[in-house]
Amino acid sequence: MNPDTKKSRVVITGYGMITPLGRNCEETFSNCSHGRSGIDYIQSFDTSGLPCHIGGEVSEAWIEKLENKDAQKYRKYSSRGLRLMQIATAEAAAQGGLSSIEDRHAIGVALGSHGENPKPQDMHHLHQFLDDNGNWDIQGLIKDGGYRYWNFFRRKPDVASSLLATAFDCRGPNLTIVSACAAGSQSIGEALRLIEDQQCKVMIAGGCDALLDIIGMAGFLLLKALSEKHPSPQAASRPFDRRRNGFVMSEAAGALILEEREHALARGATILGELKGYGASADAYRITDPHPKGLGAIIAMKSALNDAGVDIADIDYINAHGTSTSQNDLTETRAIRQIFGERADAIPVSSNKSMLGHSIAAAGAIECILSLMGINSSTILPTINQEFKDPKCNLDYVPNESRTKKHHTVLSNSFGFGGQNASLCISRYND
Amino acid sequence: MKNNLVSEAIVLNELKKALVETLQVDEGVIKPESSFTDDLGAESLDFLDINYRLEQAFGIKMARHFLLEHIEEMFGEGTAIDDEGRLTEKAVTLLNLRYGGNMPEIEAGIDMDEVPAMLTVGPFAKGVMDILNTLPEQCPQCSSSDWKSEDGMKVSCGSCGESAVYTNGDDLIVAWLTDVQQEKNIF
Repeated sequence: MNPDTKKSRVVITGYGMITPLGRNCEETFSNCSHGRSGIDYIQSFDTSGLPCHIGGEVSEAWIEKLENKDAQKYRKYSSRGLRLMQIATAEAAAQGGLSSIEDRHAIGVALGSHGENPKPQDMHHLHQFLDDNGNWDIQGLIKDGGYRYWNFFRRKPDVASSLLATAFDCRGPNLTIVSACAAGSQSIGEALRLIEDQQCKVMIAGGCDALLDIIGMAGFLLLKALSEKHPSPQAASRPFDRRRNGFVMSEAAGALILEEREHALARGATILGELKGYGASADAYRITDPHPKGLGAIIAMKSALNDAGVDIADIDYINAHGTSTSQNDLTETRAIRQIFGERADAIPVSSNKSMLGHSIAAAGAIECILSLMGINSSTILPTINQEFKDPKCNLDYVPNESRTKKHHTVLSNSFGFGGQNASLCISRYND
Repeated sequence: MKNNLVSEAIVLNELKKALVETLQVDEGVIKPESSFTDDLGAESLDFLDINYRLEQAFGIKMARHFLLEHIEEMFGEGTAIDDEGRLTEKAVTLLNLRYGGNMPEIEAGIDMDEVPAMLTVGPFAKGVMDILNTLPEQCPQCSSSDWKSEDGMKVSCGSCGESAVYTNGDDLIVAWLTDVQQEKNIF
């Protein structure tokens, strides 16, 4: 039972996703449970000259086929991330019977998203209207009409949340979370708070990002944060393995339907699981380095446990942030050890990013859903590419093969570049 | 060839300026033995900024990868850092050869995590000097040997005016490792 009787219990009544490994939740989960990798050479743009040529791309053919009429209508304003999110949300909404809810003011949206990167050709075109003295020729720009104004909308993350609400007729609270790798989990956590606080009854919550382009990769390449050395694209994302050397960027979207338990019961919705707790924190340390002792990660995980009213003994599995960077995996391991002590040895900890890459704002949402699907199918997904043991990463990372194990309560971590952290506590639904 | 146009004093001065501006430290605290991370508070992102400032000042290209990464790239995984994440004997030999004993605490078996803190101002300035010392005998454009520098930092051809082109930092490390390996047969 939730210890705070004033707060509403929040359940999950729908989920959807599109990832490099699947058009929907079932397909993605199935591929992950077989330890498959969604990473390959990037096809969507020419990576010649870059030190990294790999990523987790979603098939364009899948998107074309799955986009519904509403999504097509908003397509010119839609970032690629939003296009993915509309597909994921359509799956979640269908499963949750969202369209049958009459009071549309009771439904809100919380979306983690960073908007579309500007294209180099757009920036180049724009520069033609800037003279050597720094003056803009706005009239010329307007007359030219070539700098298409909807590109501007694609870049604004708030537009994605707004269009999602329009497409699914959600007139309740609408928020956009822009906190890098923590954004997906944070949007789910903040949606939980809105329902607990009786601000609304239902929330579409999740995240999307499609930043696999030159602008999206350039900054991470300068920081040497992406994997540049790997025997094959599929073997590049190797969280916790000694030979990990950076993360692999991917694109995806994940959507959940969160709902007040009483509301879900009253309308006879199928309850898939319970979102029991959420914790968030900031390292307040450095822009790119996590706190070496994982202090922010520890606070986020502890807060999620406290919020859920569960003890460390209740946690059966941890869905790690596990990015495959040297620093994250070490720090996360230390933080888990710090909280769980000796019990850490008995808890399976795995990283979905070993198979799906890192889809930034989508990652937390996808990992939350895969965690719940794992609970409901008694499956613990593996961390693939475990070949060379890192003596400092000494937890049970569920190496290479998924495991059949009945489990109830999961902690799912998302720790952002810049030290924004979020943890979610998800459990099997028990009435 | 040995570059005679940019002095070591100017390199050290520019490095200090970059550190003061990037890390907001007082110039007085910067010593040749100061650790970038422990004494001056640098984080990984700061190195991009420091390198960029030096590249702009001298018209050079700093190394993107550290010596240890080049060793592993050239001689195989595990040659610089062992299975336990510790520095190998051979890596220490190479570090000492490269930095001339300017990293006194370095020894085989220390944890890899401790290595970044050992990067100090003196060897870093020497790395910049090494790049500047790759100034070719003659201008690749006009074959003149009349290099000149008005500000003591940027070098150009006194004959045709072309900017000097130096070997980039990564290529320089690779060439150095190749020479050392040929001479001492370390691996």
